[in-house]
Amino acid sequence: MMRARGWLAALPMLTLLAAGFAAPIAIVAVTSLMPPRTFSLTGALALSNYLAAFTEGYWRPLMWSALGALATTAICLVLAWPTANALMRLGGRVATLVAILIALPIFISESVRLFGLSLFLMPGGGILAGTLNELFGIRIGSILNTRLAALIGLVYIHFPFVLFPLMLGLGLVPRDQVEAARDLGASGWQLFREIEAPLAAPGAAIGAMLCFVLALGANAEAAILGGRAVTVATQAIEQRFSYAQDWPQGAALTMLLVLITALVVIPLLRRVDLDRLIGR
Amino acid sequence: MGARAGRAVAAVWLGVVVTLIYLPMLSVLLASLANTRYMRFPHRVWTLDAYREALFGVGQADTLRLHQTSLAIALAVVVLAVAIAVFGALAFARARWRGRGLFRTLVMLPIFFPQPVLGLALLLALTAAGITPDWRTAVFAHLVWIAPIVTLVISIRLYGYDAAQEEAAFDLGATRLQVFREVTLPALAPGIVSGALFGFLLSWSNLPLSVFTTGADTTLPEWLFSRTATNYSPLVPAVAVIATAASAVIVAAVAVIWRLAGPRRG
Repeated sequence: MMRARGWLAALPMLTLLAAGFAAPIAIVAVTSLMPPRTFSLTGALALSNYLAAFTEGYWRPLMWSALGALATTAICLVLAWPTANALMRLGGRVATLVAILIALPIFISESVRLFGLSLFLMPGGGILAGTLNELFGIRIGSILNTRLAALIGLVYIHFPFVLFPLMLGLGLVPRDQVEAARDLGASGWQLFREIEAPLAAPGAAIGAMLCFVLALGANAEAAILGGRAVTVATQAIEQRFSYAQDWPQGAALTMLLVLITALVVIPLLRRVDLDRLIGR
Repeated sequence: MGARAGRAVAAVWLGVVVTLIYLPMLSVLLASLANTRYMRFPHRVWTLDAYREALFGVGQADTLRLHQTSLAIALAVVVLAVAIAVFGALAFARARWRGRGLFRTLVMLPIFFPQPVLGLALLLALTAAGITPDWRTAVFAHLVWIAPIVTLVISIRLYGYDAAQEEAAFDLGATRLQVFREVTLPALAPGIVSGALFGFLLSWSNLPLSVFTTGADTTLPEWLFSRTATNYSPLVPAVAVIATAASAVIVAAVAVIWRLAGPRRG
C-alpha cells in the first residue's frame, strides 16, 4: 500500500515536470538540430547550429557566462565562509536576526536590487558619488557599465544561495570537535582544513553548484549593470530568438547551457545526502 | 584570539555584510524622493511627488495594472503549487517507495537550473505549440520552479513529524481520508503556510521567468527592469518601493492571521 501511495502522491509533480521541464527541453533539443533560420520541427537533422556556435563567435557570450559564473562562485564562497562562521560564533537570537536580514532580499525582486545597485554606483549624481562629493568634496569615477559592475551584481544576487547551504553544512560540524581541536592547539588554518572543510563539504558543494548554475544563466546583472561592456549567453540566445528569428541557432546555444548545467548538477545531486542535510 | 575578541570581529564583519546588502535597496528608497528626471544626489528638493504620481496621478493606471497582473499570477501559483507540493512532499519525505531517490533528484532539477534558460525553453516550446504567451503561461512557468521549492519547504516540516500519529489514527479505525484531513494536514499546516508565503514572494518578485513567458502582459519586476534602461524618472524607484512594501504587507497580514486564527499546537 505504501508503495502505491508514493507513486500516486508523486504523480501531480511528475506531470508538471514532464510538461513544464522535460518537454520544453526536448523541444529545444529537436529545434537545435533543425537547419538554421527555419521554423519547422521536422526537417533533416543537422549539427550545423552547434558548429556555428563555435565558429561564428557565439563562444564569446558562452565564455563570459562561464567565466562570470566561476568567478561569482569563488568570490561568494570566500565571502560566505567567514560570514557563516561569524553567525555560528555569534549564536543566539542576534545570529538568527542577522541570518533573516541576509535572507530577506531573496524575496525582493532582482530588478529592484540590481536597479538599486546601479543607482548606488551611478556616476556624478549617483548615491555613492553624490554623497562623497557632498560630504568630502571627493569626485570619483564610476564602474557602472563595466564587466566588474556586472560581476559585483552577480555576487550580490547569488551570495545567499552559497551562504545558507554552507551554514547547513557547517551546522553538521560538531562544535565540541572544533573546541577539542582548538584546545589541542590546532591553528585556524588546521581547523579549517582538517575539520570544517571536510565535514561542511556537502553544504559547500550544494551552495557552490547552485551559485554556478544560477549565475551561468543570469542576464539581468549584465543588462542593468554591465551596459554594453559584455553580452552573456542568455542575452545572445534571446537575440537569436527575437531579432534574428533564428530559433535553431538559439536552441543550440540553449542546449549547450543545459548540457553544462547537467554535467555540474546531476553527479552532485546523486552524491549529496539530502536527508542528512535538510532532515536531521 | 580570545572568545570575546572573536565575537567582536564576527559582529563587525556581519555588520559590514548586512550594510552592503541593504545599501542598494536604500538607494532605491533615496532615489524615489527626488523630483528630477536626472538624478543628482543629494537632491535639492526632497519630496514624495513620485509616490503621489504613482498612486493618484498619471502613473495610477500603470501601478494598478502591474500590481493586478503580479497578484493574479502569484495567487494562482500559490494555490496550484501548494496543491501539488503537499502530495509531492509526502512522496519526497514520507512514503517509502522504489522511485523515491529518482523522484527527489527530479524535483531538485528545476531548482538547480538557470531560470532564464528555463524561460527561453518554455518560450520556444509555447511558440512551437502555437500557444500565445500571456499571464497564464507565466503561471505555468513559475509553477515549474516554485512547486519544487514549496515541496522542499513542506518536506523539511515532514522530516520532523512523527508517523506514529497516523498509525494510531488508523488503529482507532479512521479511514484514509479522515487520517489525511484530521492528522496529516494539520501537522503539515505550518509547513504549508510557510511554503505558500515562499511561493507567493518568489512569484511576486520573479523576473527571469516572467520576462520570457508573460507575452503582452507585464509584471512589476518586468516593468521595473525595462524602465531602468529607458525612460527613467523617480516614478520608477517609487513603484519599486510600493511593490516591495505591498508584498511585505501581504506577508505580514498572512502571518498575523495565522498567529491569531491558526490551530494551536499542544
